[in-house]
Amino acid sequence: MRGGLFCVFVFAFAGELRAEPPNPQDVEFFEKRIRPVLVENCYVCHSGQAREIKGAFRLDSREAIRQGGETGPAIVPGKPRESLLLEALRHESFEMPPDKQLPKNVIDDFEHWIARGAVDPRDQPDAAASESDPFAVGKNHWSFQPVREAVPPDVQQTQRVRTPVDRFLLQKLEAAKFSYAPEASRRVLIRRATFDLLGLPPTPEEIEQFLTDESPTAYEKLIDRLLASPHYGERWARHWLDVARYADNKGYVFFEEKNYPWAWTYRDYVVRAFNEDRPYDRFVTEQLAADRLDLGEDKRPLAAMGFLTLGGHFMNNTHDIIDDRIDVVTRGLLGLTVTCARCHDHKYDPVSQKEYYGLYGVFRGSVDPLLPPEFLPAPESEAYRSFETGLRERLEKLQAFIGDQREKIIRNAQTRAGEYLLAVHRKRNQPNTEEFMLLTDTDDLHPAIIHRWETVVKRSKRESDPVWSAWHAFAALSDHEFVQQAGEVHRQLIDPASSVKVNAVVREAFRERVPTSMKDVADVYGELFKNVREHWIELATLNKNAVDYSRLPDDAEEAVRQQLYGPDSAPMIPRELSWGFLDLLPDRPTQGEFTKLLKEVETWSMNQPGAPPRAMVLQNAETPYQPVVFVRGNPHREGESVTKGFLSVLTKQPIRFESGSGREELAAAIVAKENPLTARVFVNRVWGWHFGRGLVATPSDFGLRGDPPTHPDLLDWLARDFMNHGWSIKHLHRQIVLSGAYRQASDRDDADRVATIDPKNQLLGKFPRSRLDFESTRDAILAASGDLNRTIGGPPVELISSYQPRRTLYVFIDRMDLPGLMRSFDYPDPAATSPEREQTTIVPQALFFMNDQFTLTCARKLLERNDLPSQESAAERIVKIYTILFGRVPDSEEVDRAIAFLNAEAEETESLALSRAWQYGYGSIDDSTQRVGTFTPLTHWTGLRWQGGPALPDPNLGWVFVDKRGGHPAATLERCVIRRWIAPEDGTYIVTGELIHVPEPGDGVRGRLVSSAAGLLGEWTVDQSKAVLPELEVSLQKGDTLDFVVDFRETILHDEHEWPVTIRQGDSDREWNSERDFRGHSSDRWTELVHALMMTNEFVFID
Amino acid sequence: MNIEFQQRLSNDLPFVTSRREMLARCGMGLGMLGLAGLFADEAQANTISAEPLAPRPPQFAAKAQRVVHLFMNGGPSHVDTFDYKPALAKHHGQPVPAGNLRTERLTGGLMKSPFPFRQHGESGLWVSDLFEKTARHIDDIAVIRSMHAEVPNHEPSLMLMNCGHGRLPRPSFGSWVTYGLGTSNQNLPGFVVMCPGGYPIVATRNWRSSFLPGAFQGTYLDTKKTDPAELIANLRNGTLPLEDQRRQLDLVLAFNRKHAADRNVDPQLESRIESFELAYRMQSEAQEVFDVTREPKHVQEQYGSGTHGRQLLMTRRLLERGVRFVQVWSGAGQPWDNHNDIEQNHRNLAGEWDQPIAAFLDDLKQRGLLDSTLVLWGGEFGRTPVAERPALNGRDHNHYGFTCWLAGGGIRGGYAHGATDEFGFEAVENHVSVHDLHATMLHQLGFDHEKLTYRYAGRDFRLTDVEGKVVREVLS
Repeated sequence: MRGGLFCVFVFAFAGELRAEPPNPQDVEFFEKRIRPVLVENCYVCHSGQAREIKGAFRLDSREAIRQGGETGPAIVPGKPRESLLLEALRHESFEMPPDKQLPKNVIDDFEHWIARGAVDPRDQPDAAASESDPFAVGKNHWSFQPVREAVPPDVQQTQRVRTPVDRFLLQKLEAAKFSYAPEASRRVLIRRATFDLLGLPPTPEEIEQFLTDESPTAYEKLIDRLLASPHYGERWARHWLDVARYADNKGYVFFEEKNYPWAWTYRDYVVRAFNEDRPYDRFVTEQLAADRLDLGEDKRPLAAMGFLTLGGHFMNNTHDIIDDRIDVVTRGLLGLTVTCARCHDHKYDPVSQKEYYGLYGVFRGSVDPLLPPEFLPAPESEAYRSFETGLRERLEKLQAFIGDQREKIIRNAQTRAGEYLLAVHRKRNQPNTEEFMLLTDTDDLHPAIIHRWETVVKRSKRESDPVWSAWHAFAALSDHEFVQQAGEVHRQLIDPASSVKVNAVVREAFRERVPTSMKDVADVYGELFKNVREHWIELATLNKNAVDYSRLPDDAEEAVRQQLYGPDSAPMIPRELSWGFLDLLPDRPTQGEFTKLLKEVETWSMNQPGAPPRAMVLQNAETPYQPVVFVRGNPHREGESVTKGFLSVLTKQPIRFESGSGREELAAAIVAKENPLTARVFVNRVWGWHFGRGLVATPSDFGLRGDPPTHPDLLDWLARDFMNHGWSIKHLHRQIVLSGAYRQASDRDDADRVATIDPKNQLLGKFPRSRLDFESTRDAILAASGDLNRTIGGPPVELISSYQPRRTLYVFIDRMDLPGLMRSFDYPDPAATSPEREQTTIVPQALFFMNDQFTLTCARKLLERNDLPSQESAAERIVKIYTILFGRVPDSEEVDRAIAFLNAEAEETESLALSRAWQYGYGSIDDSTQRVGTFTPLTHWTGLRWQGGPALPDPNLGWVFVDKRGGHPAATLERCVIRRWIAPEDGTYIVTGELIHVPEPGDGVRGRLVSSAAGLLGEWTVDQSKAVLPELEVSLQKGDTLDFVVDFRETILHDEHEWPVTIRQGDSDREWNSERDFRGHSSDRWTELVHALMMTNEFVFID
Repeated sequence: MNIEFQQRLSNDLPFVTSRREMLARCGMGLGMLGLAGLFADEAQANTISAEPLAPRPPQFAAKAQRVVHLFMNGGPSHVDTFDYKPALAKHHGQPVPAGNLRTERLTGGLMKSPFPFRQHGESGLWVSDLFEKTARHIDDIAVIRSMHAEVPNHEPSLMLMNCGHGRLPRPSFGSWVTYGLGTSNQNLPGFVVMCPGGYPIVATRNWRSSFLPGAFQGTYLDTKKTDPAELIANLRNGTLPLEDQRRQLDLVLAFNRKHAADRNVDPQLESRIESFELAYRMQSEAQEVFDVTREPKHVQEQYGSGTHGRQLLMTRRLLERGVRFVQVWSGAGQPWDNHNDIEQNHRNLAGEWDQPIAAFLDDLKQRGLLDSTLVLWGGEFGRTPVAERPALNGRDHNHYGFTCWLAGGGIRGGYAHGATDEFGFEAVENHVSVHDLHATMLHQLGFDHEKLTYRYAGRDFRLTDVEGKVVREVLS
């Protein structure tokens, strides 16, 4: 409907002459504020590049825009109110652009522009836009223009200027008639900067030192100290790992090793790179092409290539793996969504499908070695030497196997060529079976080889290869007319005068054979290939010692031989066989053998003492890959050939990649200073990681659908300044963190007024308050507990399901099964590069704080810190706890409230009282006294059960545990499992219950009930059965115990059992129920208090 | 996020007339403001507000408000359940005249179904005795006999059925629905996944939220566990009784209020305060809802004493309380993957499901929930009409043709859609792709599947990728 409006949008000629040369500021205004809007929003319909110029109205030159139609002039310079264009933009009469109104500030710019005389330097129709190039509009997009030399503007409030950054921000704030919030307090600043730069809280001592530092450069010194801390690298590496979609495994794979045993070497490389302030251009280059660099002695940067290699494996689909690599490079480093061009030209950005496959060629020509290389100097140790010897043996076996298999596959592909060709013919209209993970018998045709022959046949058709012309001529016949028409095809084929080019040897082969079906044709080819192969082998045997032995003497025969031995032929599968190799082994026994041999190499190199870590590199393939376009992204539909090269929109001159895979050249093109995106994208990311939001709010999409920068000049200034300072990331941090903007408070007195002007705080009139992310939350809790392990680097650890005091950076990241808890806290899915983290508030987060054993354990540990002496008064203790948790002292109201909480009448609830009668432990029965000899309480509480330590089985106690229904004994009578009940007062008690054993095999368990007063009261044995205890009445004195003791009998299999019991006090209603009363640590008020403080907003929000 | 969707969201929240009224109506505390603010203002942002699960109206009037997906993982045989093929008995042991289609493994001749088929209901649709109790409801069921998938392997087919793409990481169906509609009970998760004994193949990827925010991921319950408190992580404090925890949270609340009072009004602070109140309530409500022993004995008996009976009874309790999407799996691994001895194995599996499904449909109907609940039954693909070599007593994977059924939520009952060939190898009539199935289900939930989108990596993604059409014939 709205399209109709175009037709009436015709303006009259508004003939107007310009008297004076325009003022440069007005020209700049046009270039910055008007032209880009016209290009982006109007040219598609109203310029020379429009497919159909709507309403015959163009906006792409000064003359055109002032032309109009019967409705009157589009623009009356100096008179916005009379300018129809403005009316249309405001959707007052016409509605332009038709799909959505432009933002108000843009329309205001137009008003301003017209009011100032509508200065327009475009003498000619916009060159770019009038080209027929469909990408012309996109090329004018702001982010593809060179990074400008922006000059920090003059501002009024110079006293708020700390770094040049502030001039850009203040300029906009002043234009909006307000300014920064007041400077934040020192206490806020040190907390903010320490979490921001280290991901950890400042210690009370650090806070004290900063507060009392009277030097004018105290803040600068603080920032220097933080940037020099080794924990800085840990924190900032984590930001980068989001971009790098870091994980420790491959996602779903069918046969092979699922883990990346050395992914952590990449993580540690990134930590080191940040700590050492590795120049960003070098950092990027190492991540893309460290294998091509002259690294000298220190080979550690090889680990940088994990950036490319540790993505998901997509069930080993080569094309998806490559797509993921292109994605992490282009979105991650360039802020461009290039993978949109996998199936067709990018719909919005100037990226063509050909360019996508130009990059595809780079990664297709790079392979992951089966065993990644070492990168540390070989140690002179016995352990290492014996490791090496063992590795060599295993590698040799593996390589011999691969060599054999390769020979076999090649021979099969050569000698059964006829059968393969027939299979190719038959599946012309079938789905692509080789995408299945098919299982075949050993004598079946090889699905991957069928596909390779198919590729050759298709290519030969495109290239009109004379070897194959006969094939294609017959293949064009339909089955039912084959017999009738084959004669004519055959006649032309053997006629030397025919216009079809036919290879002479092929012609000979067909001379006496008129095929009656494609099977015959395939047979002829098959035999021909067999003969040529034999001829070649014969010649090779004869010429064994001859020097010049590279081809058959006859050209035609040589052309046929190339189909079997040429580098692109179907049989010559590549020599570097990494994860793709399994596709070539489709039968289970061979797959089994391969995985077994590979596993031996992998296990040896992962677990053997002395085994060094390895770098997950890519290497160039022995022959570079020559890419073609896959039509609609379908690898089975090959289109035109393309050259490997860089995205044309980012360069003045086309850049082709000519050396090897081209990765090195790709890296160079990305970090070239002329590249308009690399520096902008990175400084924007860093800005976003500091302020919670980038200057461009879509940090991985700087394309036409991304958000425009809120402060374009600032973005460019930062990018230039960054490059001019040797791509130093720490320099960049300083420009930002030392700024007045960063140092302002997150609240202001006139907040309500400011919120109406800048509701999203885009102008940064206050520091945005932020919530700690998952890692910082967990690390802050650990740091407060005093138990944080500050070791840097090393293999990953499991830290979600058990207590582990290492920093969260070191968690094992399972791409397949990322813990739900982490996702609940907005940890990004490592399936692909992550532009930024969400910040949601959902219930599972609160449940973690309230109930997770980790939080509870840390609350308890905090109270055990040595700097928290228990003899101090409650108030002093509370003050100390506040300084640990919040970096401040509490006010009296807070102290009073905390003390009131501690002292609240211990409302000893009945349920709590009952549960206090129970203890859980292990021990033995002294046969001589028939009493429990030893009883040791279990100390580790998992949230569901008591056991010996975080792991089950525990290294010392084995499988001993108690849960609410029952438990499990150890495999020795010294460590029977014991549920103990202690009589609260003298009296008679009645015990009932049942002992249940379910699982098989094994011989069940024995349960004994022992009273400290009366000795053994009963003994029951159950083996996949249930014993109901008789009602037992016992007289006990206060403090006497009843022990429910279970042992493993004679075999140690499946001794898990249940033994719910109730104990009734004879002359009262009180009843203890082992299941209902079961609890973990008995709580105490101090722990509850600390735990409560850890849950507060103050703990997780940074002002 | 799709701009249109956002505008719709802001337009369609007419009840949000004032801050106070909105808070009162949603019972959400100030946190809701983040949502309303976001959808009104953040035209380009991908960020979901601080309250991503708040209820939202669909794009147009919906027949269904919630979804139950009964996932027979491993691939149930359609020719032994809902797709009757008498020709199999006639040609038992003989080769398929046109040759076998290429499947994952090597297959032999045709194999008749070991299970008798009968006609049921007024519609007279054929169902095998494996599901004879379920068949009592056949007049409420639309059987789709012409389903097809892409490849005969579990992993990609599971991904396709759950996430709309065989290989690439995409959000699951449940995540999309929760993203589109939010959920109406903040005390429970919006998207619940039950699978007894561990994960199915490809594990949590089946219910991941991928590039949608983590709030939309499925909450997994290992329903082999019977203790309600153990089903959701951190649902119980092992130390503090509830009354003591309340005291503790009151202290937290007091400190938080003071903290907020010292600062400018900030919705982030408010919504985190609110989240603790919700969490406190979820502890009780979730434990209560998972505790099926609170149901009257006769109801428990109808559902049966097995795991699936318990799962479905829990499901009904969840649906009643406003949970948006429940997916119920057969079990860890791939239970229905009966390459061997399909007779015994399918008999056991169906035996565990039939009565609970029948009871579940009865129960929903009695409570008036079936009309607004969309129930999907099916696997990731079907099985071959030919026997698998060498044992010749089981069936291989078959993605060329298989059966799913839908019930409730405005679905046309007693209707069979599409058909496979005479043996049941390949869909030949009214083909329904997995994308079509998704498009149809989204339609019943009030969404144009092409417009429920999310902007990510430069594209507006949707569950149906670039395909899918609504199968209007199965709608009532």
